[in-house]
Amino acid sequence: MIRDDLVRWRYRLIPNTVVGEILSKPWIDNAVPVLMLAVLLTVFGALVPNLLTLGNLGNLSQTVGEYLLMGLGLTIVVMAGGIDLSVGSVFALANLVIIALAGWAGLPMAVAIPVALLSGALIGLLNGILVGYLRLRAFLTTLVTLIVVRALVDSLLLSYSQDIGAAPIFSAFWDYLAFGTVYGMSVSFMTAVALAVAVHIVLTRLRPGWHIIAVGGSRRAAHNAGINVRRTVCLSYVASGTLAALAGVFYAARLMSLGAETGVGLEITILTAVVLGGTSLGGGRGSVVKTVLGVAIVVVVTNSLLRFNLPSGSSPLALGIILLLAVAIDVRWVKNKRKVLDQTYVAPTYFELPPLPDARRGAATPYAVNDHLATAEPIGLGLLDGPEDVILDADDNLYTGSRDGNILRLMAPDYTRVEPYVHIGGQPLGLAFDRAGNLVTCVAGMGLYMVRPNREVVKLSDETNRTVFSIIDDSRMRLADDLDIAPDGRVFFSEATIRYALHDWMIDALEGRGNGRIICYDPRDGTSRTVLPRLQFPNGICMVPDGQSFLYAETWGCRVSRYYFDGPKKGRTEVVIADLPGYPDNINRASDGTFWLAMIGMRTPAFDLSQRMPGFRRRMAMKVARDQWVFPNLNTGGVIKFDLTGQVLQSLWDGEGGSHPQVTSMREHKGWLYLGGIFNNRIGRIRLPDADQSWTSQSAYWGAPK
Amino acid sequence: MITWLRTRIDSFLGQGDAAVTVPPMDGALSPNTRLDRADLIAQIPTPNDLAQGDATYVSSGNTVYRLNPAGAPEPFRHFAEPVTSLAAHGDQLAVGQPQHILLIHGSTQTTVPVQCPTALAFMGDTLIATQGSSTNAPAQWKHDLMQRGSSGAVWQVTPGSPPKPLATGLAWPNGIAITPDGIVIVESWRHRLIRLGQPNAVLADLPGYPARLSPAQNGWWLCIFAPRGQLVEFVLRERRYCTRMMAEIDPDNWLAPALSPPKSFLEPMMGGALRTHGFVKPWAPSNSYGLLVRLDARFRPVRSYHSRADGTRHGITAAVDLGTHVLVASHGGNAILSLEGDLP
Repeated sequence: MIRDDLVRWRYRLIPNTVVGEILSKPWIDNAVPVLMLAVLLTVFGALVPNLLTLGNLGNLSQTVGEYLLMGLGLTIVVMAGGIDLSVGSVFALANLVIIALAGWAGLPMAVAIPVALLSGALIGLLNGILVGYLRLRAFLTTLVTLIVVRALVDSLLLSYSQDIGAAPIFSAFWDYLAFGTVYGMSVSFMTAVALAVAVHIVLTRLRPGWHIIAVGGSRRAAHNAGINVRRTVCLSYVASGTLAALAGVFYAARLMSLGAETGVGLEITILTAVVLGGTSLGGGRGSVVKTVLGVAIVVVVTNSLLRFNLPSGSSPLALGIILLLAVAIDVRWVKNKRKVLDQTYVAPTYFELPPLPDARRGAATPYAVNDHLATAEPIGLGLLDGPEDVILDADDNLYTGSRDGNILRLMAPDYTRVEPYVHIGGQPLGLAFDRAGNLVTCVAGMGLYMVRPNREVVKLSDETNRTVFSIIDDSRMRLADDLDIAPDGRVFFSEATIRYALHDWMIDALEGRGNGRIICYDPRDGTSRTVLPRLQFPNGICMVPDGQSFLYAETWGCRVSRYYFDGPKKGRTEVVIADLPGYPDNINRASDGTFWLAMIGMRTPAFDLSQRMPGFRRRMAMKVARDQWVFPNLNTGGVIKFDLTGQVLQSLWDGEGGSHPQVTSMREHKGWLYLGGIFNNRIGRIRLPDADQSWTSQSAYWGAPK
Repeated sequence: MITWLRTRIDSFLGQGDAAVTVPPMDGALSPNTRLDRADLIAQIPTPNDLAQGDATYVSSGNTVYRLNPAGAPEPFRHFAEPVTSLAAHGDQLAVGQPQHILLIHGSTQTTVPVQCPTALAFMGDTLIATQGSSTNAPAQWKHDLMQRGSSGAVWQVTPGSPPKPLATGLAWPNGIAITPDGIVIVESWRHRLIRLGQPNAVLADLPGYPARLSPAQNGWWLCIFAPRGQLVEFVLRERRYCTRMMAEIDPDNWLAPALSPPKSFLEPMMGGALRTHGFVKPWAPSNSYGLLVRLDARFRPVRSYHSRADGTRHGITAAVDLGTHVLVASHGGNAILSLEGDLP
């Protein structure tokens, strides 16, 4: 159909994953302030002459530097879940102290500046003790500090301003602070930038910063995690006081003024800048970059309003209105971001499956559904939770993963005794033994792990090369699924999808895009490289005995393919079965040289049709509750036997889905076929009377046990 | 223009006609397992309608059964065409078939030309018949739903004169109640009960597609033959998908309400219906359901009987109150059930 072709090209040309993936990034919180700054610069840049010229920026840089210093301090406090209103008064106090000490008392700068900073730190410490240790309300406490310190400064000014203000300061360093430039920018600005970088590193990379964020995010959780909440809160105020004092020192150097208006109302300006940047007043969410943006917006607004010659008072009014807006946007953004993300993340694309082979009961195809698996002997019924893959060792013990992050061992010969073999933490999916008898496993959300015979767990790989231009960080492994080991020890394993974690894996079916990949881990140098990108939920992997190629199944693609990683056909991919009637999962060897393929579910005409209508699936994901989305039918499954030519030899089904509705894996061992299922509470096994009764996959791979 | 704008806004916000929300089953409709626990009277393939005159009749496929004094069904009449509805009055029997209605009185048999009769009821000697659709046959009810059909009608059949329409433009009328205040009709696709000649619905916003109404002691039995679900409501609004589904797929495998639990792996599965640890959750989303609702004399639900997603007695199409017990036809469960006693 022409319309289908149009739809296919539209989805091929315009990637619709972008919006959802960008929204899922943490830095998207900066989008609002960046946009706001851009709009303001455009508007005011056009209205106010010379706003964006270098000379003006140079003038502004001193104010920006002071604001930024105070903003950094306030950011730390707000991130820790508090608020510091006293910054304006501390600023004024430091201004007074430095002028008094350096000018009136004549102390050298090396003494005067540290003492001025110390005065700020002390006020911060006072706040910190009151709020952090005595647990007073941050807002009221710092409001009181604001008033008390302001009163102190005012009374000192009343008595001594004549004496202090008259004394000049002669110091080259002082002048440098005031008028010096670094790369055309003021010293205060460059100091602030350097400190911003430092604070950013502390907050994002170092332990104290993580403590601050943890405390701001949830005091109780932080306390339970062993963080000293009170000290962390207290220290955040000390940092704020010190940084405000530093801003006061730069202000003093710049203006040498003891006016009573110094720093009045500054706390509102700084608070506006911080909140405007997107640092949440609730604590735990914010960044230095946001504060930098916020300060830039505030400075542009105040400076531009100044140039309009508006009546006095209009600038604080404008700032107040902006603060109100910022708080409102912050609240709405936090509330709705998750909802928008939920609605936009699922990004279906056009996918057309080959015609559906007839698998109905009695059909003439080898796929005809039957009830062979319904009579499978249950193993570990009720003791297992999500045995995705099963494997047996040389002593016939059975190993399987479980949803609570263990590898379980069921002891031969009757498999009634279950013991946790090792605890890994994530749900183990694919399992394979290597030549040395180590159990190699793909762990959902974690990567490729190995369990030594002495039960030591070793991480083999949890990252690969990142795709260029990928928005999602696909260097990390979200859903390592199945693996197999080449004769030379290389491990080829599939990552089913890079867009969903294990609990959401079925949603990947709605997208119909190649979101998965096959990765090769090389034990010789410990590196991992993606060898086959953009596969449709690559799942089972099985080495072909030629030692040069492996078979892999693409679940949503309903395909089995063969990839040559060595030999003359190196790098080639051949499709072995193109049109399965259902969704394939793991592949394993059979004793007669053919292969077993697990089927996790069946294709349905209604879902196949929706695969050709991506808009239908997108709207469904937006409008319908997730529980009611149409999925592939995963309530009927089975096992298929096929050979390398793609001929299907046999199929075993659980037609009613009573005991093995989804078969995710099967393992032939000594004349039995063991069945695993990711949503099942049992392992099943059926007799294979015609099979080689001594064959084990272990010996087929690595030779007879020594 | 305003309608066009409203449609766009509704579609964007998912409100009004674009809303895919479904009324919850709560209050008198709170789920239980009474239908699954009900006594099985007889296993009959796809029973469709029940009627009580001098005897009790059951229709199934092309056959009408009569219950013997022991309560077991015995074949009564066999027809060349499927029986779509049934009504009895004394020794009279009305049998709906895709193209017409047969009036059987002793050995005389008259044919009334009303197509697609979905429900029949005697009002004295006159017969009231609902015509589900003027374009689709009774077996094509899924087509009519997916086409959002509203070409149904209600006919009055008086012996000796041609049928007279009482109402037209109905969305699959599928049940009749004769009350002293007039005739109440079930409109399946609009999930409501209306009284002919009155603008307001008697009972609206049902959480399923209603089927036949039958008298109870001081009230009514209302059969709900399939549940409503967000996904089907959504599909109904996706006209292109509907059209292609109708053109390309066998109706049994549609994303549509169904009379029976899934019979084939070719039927679509909703995510919540996934079988985990060997079980389907009773509250799983499902295209089929068993629901019988007891209404009071003013058509307000007072009690309900359910067979949930994990049950089998789905597709309740008819009920008949015998005083001591109630017979219920479960089309999807291939069963005639008996609910003991109509306790308050």
